[in-house]
Amino acid sequence: MKVLRLPKERLDLFASVLQQFGEVHAPVEQNGKYAFRALSRWSDARLDYPRTILPPKKYFVPPKDTLFQYKEGLGYVPADLAADRRIILFGLHSCDIYGLNILDQVFSGKYDDPYYQARRKNVAIIGVDCIPDEHCFCHSMRADFVDKGFDLFFQDLGDRYLVMVGTALGDDMVLATGSLFEPVTPEDLAEYKQRSSAKRKAFKLHVEIRDLPEIFELEYDSSLWKQVGDRCLSCGACSMVCPTCYCFDVADDVDLGARSGSRSRTWDSCLFSTHAMVAGGENFREGRASRVKFRYYHKQRGFVAEYGRPSCVGCGRCISACPVNIDISQVISQLRGIENATA
Amino acid sequence: MAKPTLGVFGLTGCAGDQLVILNCEDELLELTELVDIKDFLMASSGNDTSCQLDVALVDGAVLSQRDEDMLKRIRERSRLLVALGTCAVWGGVASLDRNQDRTRLLEDVYGEMGKKYDSLPARALHEVVNVDLSITGCPIEKDQLISAVASLLQGDPPLYPKYPVCTECRMREYNCLLIERGEICCGPLTVAGCQARCPGLNVPCVGCRGPADDANVESAMNMFGEKGIPREEIAAKLRTFAPAWGVNV
Amino acid sequence: MLQLSETQAAPVFMTANPYQPHMARIVRIYRMVEDNYVFTLRFLDDQLASAFSYRPGQFMMLSVPGAGEAPISISSSPSRPGILELCVRRVGRVTNALYRLPNNSVVGLRGPYGNGFPVETMTGNDLLIVAGGLGMAPLRSLMWYALDNRDDFRNVTLMYGVKSPAQMLFREELASLVGRDDMQCLLTVDSDPTGTWKHHIALLPKLFDYATITPATTYAAVCGPPVVYKFVLQRLLELGFSKDRILMSLERRMKCGVGKCNHCSVGYKLTCLHGPIFTYWDAINLPEMI
Repeated sequence: MKVLRLPKERLDLFASVLQQFGEVHAPVEQNGKYAFRALSRWSDARLDYPRTILPPKKYFVPPKDTLFQYKEGLGYVPADLAADRRIILFGLHSCDIYGLNILDQVFSGKYDDPYYQARRKNVAIIGVDCIPDEHCFCHSMRADFVDKGFDLFFQDLGDRYLVMVGTALGDDMVLATGSLFEPVTPEDLAEYKQRSSAKRKAFKLHVEIRDLPEIFELEYDSSLWKQVGDRCLSCGACSMVCPTCYCFDVADDVDLGARSGSRSRTWDSCLFSTHAMVAGGENFREGRASRVKFRYYHKQRGFVAEYGRPSCVGCGRCISACPVNIDISQVISQLRGIENATA
Repeated sequence: MAKPTLGVFGLTGCAGDQLVILNCEDELLELTELVDIKDFLMASSGNDTSCQLDVALVDGAVLSQRDEDMLKRIRERSRLLVALGTCAVWGGVASLDRNQDRTRLLEDVYGEMGKKYDSLPARALHEVVNVDLSITGCPIEKDQLISAVASLLQGDPPLYPKYPVCTECRMREYNCLLIERGEICCGPLTVAGCQARCPGLNVPCVGCRGPADDANVESAMNMFGEKGIPREEIAAKLRTFAPAWGVNV
Repeated sequence: MLQLSETQAAPVFMTANPYQPHMARIVRIYRMVEDNYVFTLRFLDDQLASAFSYRPGQFMMLSVPGAGEAPISISSSPSRPGILELCVRRVGRVTNALYRLPNNSVVGLRGPYGNGFPVETMTGNDLLIVAGGLGMAPLRSLMWYALDNRDDFRNVTLMYGVKSPAQMLFREELASLVGRDDMQCLLTVDSDPTGTWKHHIALLPKLFDYATITPATTYAAVCGPPVVYKFVLQRLLELGFSKDRILMSLERRMKCGVGKCNHCSVGYKLTCLHGPIFTYWDAINLPEMI
């Protein structure tokens, strides 16, 4: 991989060059929290943010996504994605890049999802490194470092960045700046190693995922699920903010007069009472406990069977977004029977 | 084919939901082309007050014998009866005092005269007649009204979200007033459809749309309790719009 | 061990957009049983209509514009191409809307989805089809496939039970199979208020008394309500069936049909991709399956 260095005072210049590649989006502050937004000026970008409210999945699977327009006689006409604007998404943490890599697997396979794929081609990804806070456990989920899924990745080395070039597009961005980027020095590499080892030690939250699928199988009937289910508000917040929750509902909207309309998909959650309901009303997960269990089971057990790893990336959003403090790390500890854990 | 006939009626309430219909300025012309509005006192002085209706939209709660008679008459004339707004769907603000002694309340407010008034404890429409469709909200959402008309014209009930306001609030990436500011936000319990309008304006949800499909009231009460908010205060807040939350204090 | 999941690549006639419904015409509505009509459909595009093929046990996503989309199992057999027969129970928004449509109306169809029955693996074996109630809808496809490719299978047995004669799907058609010498067709009703029923009057598992089954060389295909699974599976195990030789067709609410939306998940399998045909071994290893 091509690795370069960029003195920090040149970042503004780089950002201004970036605009020729697309509309630049980055985390901006919003009443003490952060959200990815289109920048009106580069100085609004906050690259030292803890986490955004919504993960970057919103760029690829928007909360409401129109799939087709239908008209009598014309049938279903797919929404035109070719005209979508090009976006440079600046400032993704490795957990979020990892989340996108996981969504890539879901939205490809036997059936490629053309809506997701088209947007993925239209959005460039520039990662930045981060310092874990009290909700982060990405190292436990092996998502604290990524080796793919970005065009460029910026590692903070104090007064400069170490920049990894992940794609040809990333390389074009570097080259477009002329000589802004410099070759790395041995000191840069030493500093990088020192910082990444310090980052590893900075995590306060730890989740052991080895043999977790087996634990889930063994504890399928655990009374813990009822305890968590009794607490859960089924408010859907954890699913909305999860970088790898991708459940969606599909429905037709009718225009007045009913000769035309649209079909769209909307974010959904397996915690909703309607999620496993079939036509006619039978519900395969009627109780809240069974729904809570399903959500954990799918992420930590089912995904391993299907894709070889859990779909959780340890970003901590579900912990910080739960009104009743349901904490995945504590649920897993309790499931493992580790003392002093309170969910 | 003859256009479907429609009536719009108001029982006791602020008539705000009827006003939402009149505020559908962009769609009103098309609406009148698609349906034959026969009886709509707020909008017209020339009404056919006895014809059969395909759809009746009824706003307000039942608070008097007069309301009850009127509602039963509407039910008889209409193929479909739609409850319009939180008062019609849940009982609304007027149902706050419905467990109190009505005679005493009337005396307290009106003195001796109170005895003569035709006044009953507030009831939602479904507590009096059979209701085919409920469009909740205080007031109702314009897009939910239009989607109801569009779907009903086709023969289907409209599809409304059953999940809570939190889901829409998160979809729109608003700040969480409950977690970040510790406010009494009823978002986790209240049915969505408003696109989390209030939290989006930094105002906590007051639950004006009534309970979500699967509201976990008990857990929410405990959550507020842990924040030091007395159960009575939460219960009173929830009861403001709907007696049906099932709150145990 | 028998592997059922994703036994085939996506068919060649599928467009790049897997959500794209193709328009199809309702060419016949057979009002078979109250709230269970058979809709015969043909793609408007002649090329698609003739190229379209599928496996018994697969399902389609049916669109009624404005009402939405719903998964419907295919009741016709791929051995009779050109048209598709969908036995549709009127039970929800989409199917209600479908029932309102007159003959000749145009609806949307995409598919086929799901694994379908592993007919290649089943070839050369006996075939036992056990259906209860509406479970005949997906199994009819397999039955006609076997009868139309009769040399591929050894003994073919159908056991089908419903509560009363009026509820039997494809009643006339199935009655005409009774007495055929290339298969054994056993039909039963729990009770016969009409007094005109000419076949068995007994609970479905009782039909096992009338058939000679060799479990070691038989594949059993089962579909029906939970009570059917409960008693039929028990009977099959008593007979000595291997759990891999018992195939079940499951119903879930697919919203996408292509393994993305996650609505049809059972445990960690997706009914639309890994099913809807599962072995009994799958079923006991996946929580919440039946």
